[in-house]
Amino acid sequence: MKHRGRGVACGWYGIARTAAMDRAAVWVELDDGGTVKIATGVTEIGEGILTGLCQIAAQEMGVRPEDIVLGDNDTARVPEAAHAGATRMTYMIGNAVAIGCREAFGKFRDAMGAYWGVAPGSIHAFAGDVWVEGSPTKRMSMGHAVHVLKKERGIVIVGSGLFTSQHTPLHPETGEATPWQSYVFGAQVAEVEVDDDTGEVQVLGVWAAHDVGRVVNPQQVEGQIEGGVVMAVGHALMEDYIQHAGQTTTPGFAKYILPTALDVPQVTSVLIDEPDPKTPLGVKGIGEPAITPTAPAIINAIYDAVGVRITQLPATPERVMSALQEKRVREAAPIDATRVTAQEEIPMGPP
Amino acid sequence: MLTFDQYLTPATLAQAFDALEGLPGARIVAGATDLLPWARDGRAGDVHLSALVDVSKLPELQGVGLADVAPGRIRMGAATPIAAFQHHPLLQQQAPVLGRCAVWFADDQIREQATVGGNLVNASPAGDSQPALLAMNTHVTLARREKGRILERTLPLSEFIVGPGQTLRQPLEIMTRLELDALPGHGAAFEKVGHRRSLVISTVCLAALARLDPTRRRIEDVRIAIGAVGPVPERLDDVEDFLTGQAATGARLREAAELAVERVRSRSRQAYRREVLVNFIERALVAALAQAGLEIQRVPKESGHV
Amino acid sequence: MSEPVSGCQAPVDGRHPMTEISATVNGRKVTRSVPNHYRLIDFVREELKLTGNKEGCGAGECGTCSMFVDGKLVKSCLTPVQKIQGATVETVDDLDRDQGMTVLQRAFHKCGASQCGYCIPGMVMAATSTLRRNPAAGLDEIKEGLGGNICRCTGYQKILDAVQLARDVLNGSRPESALDEDAGTSFIGHSTRRLDAPGKVTGAIKYAADLWMANMLHLQVLRSPHPHARIVRIDASKARRLPGVECVLTCDDVPGVDNFGVFIEDQPIMARGVVRYVGEAVAAVAAETVDIARAAVKLIEIHYEVLPGLFDPEEAMRPGAVQLHAHAADNICKHTRIRKGDVDAALAAADLVVEETYRTAPIEHAYLEPEAGLAYVEADGCVAVHSPSQNITHHRHMLAKILGRPINKVRMIMSTVGGGFGGKEDMIYQGMLALAAIKTRRPVRYVFTREESFIASAKRHPFTIRYTMGLQRDGRITATRMVMVSDGGAYAMSTPGVMNKSAILGPGPYAVPNVWVDAIGVYTNNTPSGAMRAFGAFQSEFATEAHLDLCAQRLGMDPVALRMVNLMRDGATTHTRQQLDRVLAVDCLQAAVAAAGWDAGVPHRQGLGQAPRSDLGGTGTRAPCTLGARLAPMAAAEPAAATVPAK
Repeated sequence: MKHRGRGVACGWYGIARTAAMDRAAVWVELDDGGTVKIATGVTEIGEGILTGLCQIAAQEMGVRPEDIVLGDNDTARVPEAAHAGATRMTYMIGNAVAIGCREAFGKFRDAMGAYWGVAPGSIHAFAGDVWVEGSPTKRMSMGHAVHVLKKERGIVIVGSGLFTSQHTPLHPETGEATPWQSYVFGAQVAEVEVDDDTGEVQVLGVWAAHDVGRVVNPQQVEGQIEGGVVMAVGHALMEDYIQHAGQTTTPGFAKYILPTALDVPQVTSVLIDEPDPKTPLGVKGIGEPAITPTAPAIINAIYDAVGVRITQLPATPERVMSALQEKRVREAAPIDATRVTAQEEIPMGPP
Repeated sequence: MLTFDQYLTPATLAQAFDALEGLPGARIVAGATDLLPWARDGRAGDVHLSALVDVSKLPELQGVGLADVAPGRIRMGAATPIAAFQHHPLLQQQAPVLGRCAVWFADDQIREQATVGGNLVNASPAGDSQPALLAMNTHVTLARREKGRILERTLPLSEFIVGPGQTLRQPLEIMTRLELDALPGHGAAFEKVGHRRSLVISTVCLAALARLDPTRRRIEDVRIAIGAVGPVPERLDDVEDFLTGQAATGARLREAAELAVERVRSRSRQAYRREVLVNFIERALVAALAQAGLEIQRVPKESGHV
Repeated sequence: MSEPVSGCQAPVDGRHPMTEISATVNGRKVTRSVPNHYRLIDFVREELKLTGNKEGCGAGECGTCSMFVDGKLVKSCLTPVQKIQGATVETVDDLDRDQGMTVLQRAFHKCGASQCGYCIPGMVMAATSTLRRNPAAGLDEIKEGLGGNICRCTGYQKILDAVQLARDVLNGSRPESALDEDAGTSFIGHSTRRLDAPGKVTGAIKYAADLWMANMLHLQVLRSPHPHARIVRIDASKARRLPGVECVLTCDDVPGVDNFGVFIEDQPIMARGVVRYVGEAVAAVAAETVDIARAAVKLIEIHYEVLPGLFDPEEAMRPGAVQLHAHAADNICKHTRIRKGDVDAALAAADLVVEETYRTAPIEHAYLEPEAGLAYVEADGCVAVHSPSQNITHHRHMLAKILGRPINKVRMIMSTVGGGFGGKEDMIYQGMLALAAIKTRRPVRYVFTREESFIASAKRHPFTIRYTMGLQRDGRITATRMVMVSDGGAYAMSTPGVMNKSAILGPGPYAVPNVWVDAIGVYTNNTPSGAMRAFGAFQSEFATEAHLDLCAQRLGMDPVALRMVNLMRDGATTHTRQQLDRVLAVDCLQAAVAAAGWDAGVPHRQGLGQAPRSDLGGTGTRAPCTLGARLAPMAAAEPAAATVPAK
């Protein structure tokens, strides 16, 4: 028979390096044709940072994302932006890019202001067009503007940016610290179906709400949530790297089981996008926060469905069946008022 | 990693025997989908063979059709890919349990490459095709060459597999074809459980076929075969006998299913397999009988049996 | 399977017989001579340099190698090259036939289906096959068509969206303009299509294993078969003499200070005097071909003296256990403490105390791209290492020290990463590559097998968490105690950071006045544990959220309500005494619950005789998977008789 249930879990996560100062630096150049060259320590690992940074730069520089060229992450060629992890990329490097672009764009405005004889603040740019507020004639393409500044004024527009996040180390005895400036909160609900013929658990739906700060690219944030949820489904139900006396019995994907397209829930993502007030862009992150509530939500949903609490991951079919069998045996035994096990304490009831 | 001195693709059965006889240690290969994953770190490691003899294109091993001299039987070449279980019109109509088995067998790609003969000759205890083929009263034909003449022998699949990875095939024999029942009117079901829903090794697998008598109250014919719970796949002949000719009720199905508990002789997870096996037998029979025209309710589960 | 006939041996010199293969690949006739053991994936990637197709596992389990042979989609890592003799092969590299991208590839681009991209060529092939076979395939059939392809990044949802979009555009039910970029008035906040997606869906983008340089050598590594052993003697003389071998490296070849590590630099680039886990690198060979390098590795003779191993962190901490690292008494790598208030007093005063123990398993990152790299020495003597490292800044520091060079004579370039998740933060092979490039003065390439990646690279820390929570009747948590012990494995890797993060975040986003957390990471002779997505917080927060559900059950409370009582609000003080400003924890919970719909009640209410919950099975859930979307419905027997009751 199949049984359905639901579980809920909350989560929180700190953004960028833990209890240590974090930093990222960027160089920006407004380049021929109205393109923009950006050098920073980033390589795409799949989270979408490449596109996200190009969107940020495009917005700040008044060009389009496809006009941005992002240099390879190469210690001999770009300024350091530290590591690709800790859900820090959009927060650290996104902010650094914004700062670097603002410096460069500020110089652009100053130069164009001098060229056009207008206040720098009246100059705007978007998607490759540059114009002066309120003027029908003072407009040109970004490409032309770059050309004019270089040829006629000898100006190459460059900027740099540094973003630092202030974190303090842990006190060795109490753990007292400010380990991060920014936190991402979250909550997920999971709905499962448990098959008591086999112990199989299918996760049918997950609803995930995360406070991700300002959203640069909604599709990418959803993609991170969906990927994190499915990775957690694997952790919750099927993944186990097994060693006996140091020898691995799961050295490949035949024995180490990952979720396939047939194992994944429908995922509904809710992006709570209140900007983070402490940083120029207001962005936070999502890569790791997405993965923490799912597994307990699933485990709690299994309890809701069939009344067994799995306390050891993964909740394989064997573990679920074994727990169901124990439950049946326990419930079939005559009631003994003196025998109260951990699972059977009489519920306290609501206040 | 798999390495070898030679890889031969004979065009005729005679050339295949030339190769096997001429190269001691030569191994027959069809789809290679079991061989290549086996020769890797964590399993057999680096394996070197004198030769691989690829039989997958031999004309004698091809084709799916009705067996001309045996009415009600289907003939299938040993090199038939598992994908044919799902796609071949004759098998869809006459042996639908095979399609139900195929959807649980690895994935789309591997089904195009893996052959039914290879699956049987490798005789993995967790092989998914074996229960379905056993339930269809499959016979396998093996060809050999004696004094220049190609001879054949045919034996039931139930006798062919004798242990984990062990069959009655002699080293210089080549499986050429199978013959199995055409059962268009039977209800059919295939059950399998692993740790996920695709490309997964079976912990328990089972095929069931059933036909009702004209009154639609009694079971006229029932076949149940199991895999992955012991060293070899098996027909549950005692369970079949218990049910044949009997009224089909939930209680009877449960009693029949519990007869099979002793069949679990795996090296691990026996308690789990026993419980699932009983549930699978019940569930598969209910599904097969429903297709055959009779809806049955399963009895509730409280009666523990393990 | 039976053993091979004795006397039949692989060529000791690594030179295998060649075989000539003629086939039509992507519309072009090719004839090549390749080692006879090549599989189709080797032919396509190594010989034809069509690197769009990947070898994610070599065992037919991941689908990244999928391609068409005579119109049928197969896994090319399971296809001996001889099988394509005279056949027609179609790979991802030319799928679009120079038209740009196919509709399906454009749909992948539009839907955000490509993240790291490593699985994507194989996915594109599987989706192409599915729609070729049935242009009207529904979602279930599409899922089955992709069931042999693993993705670790996307969770599949956008891949499935893309295939359905392509299907609809191809059959005309949606216009082609649905594939275009959406219009927008701002770039921030816009679902801009990924700029790297075209390179990924066509297989054009190069990952580390796709890189080639002229005159390149190939590296293979000898790895320890023992979890704990002293290295008595290494004799590499036979290996060095093998024709085609350019160098054999051991720890003796390391010129500088030989240790690396994310927090504690306790790991040599090749084992020094002792091996501490199965899979630890002991020696490395650079040779003209991978086959020769592998053969040479087999010729290296190592005499080990096996030592007692520790495989359980609790045992490893006991007095008298063998000490695995000189710097770690009791084998404790890191012990993080959080102490706030008085937990004992609070527990004594609590209305309810709930105890339970939770366990999480070691987890493999399973990025579809196995580790790989290419190293070379530039004209000015700078050694460059091109690899998917997640921290090239730190790696450069360590490598400079290990190679005994100025830091600006070491260059680390981060290649496009086919999935990281923290598993590519440790410098477990770049040192050997750099050293081999320096010694041979030629470029050197190294590609891990999947099995190597499994046993040699970091795993997520398994945790055992002993949880005690004190609550009042109204649901307020008054005390949380978490005692967490984790198997850190043979080397520190990210253990110190993981213990910190697991402790800081462990008690959850709740206002708890009394908190006691111990997070203890212990050295053992298991595969080292290291960074993995959520870095200790996955494990500790799992325990907290499961425990809260147990508490809700005991209190007879709805688990959402219990959390509402305890969640932090604006201005809350964390467990490390940081004062927060804005806290959106309640907003998130309310949003998740609103999106799902939630019928409040105690967990498993039906077990208490209450009516079952009413929020199940709505939109936002999928139907349970029952395989067989493509099977014709069984020919019905004549209409059924009545339903027979159970007895």
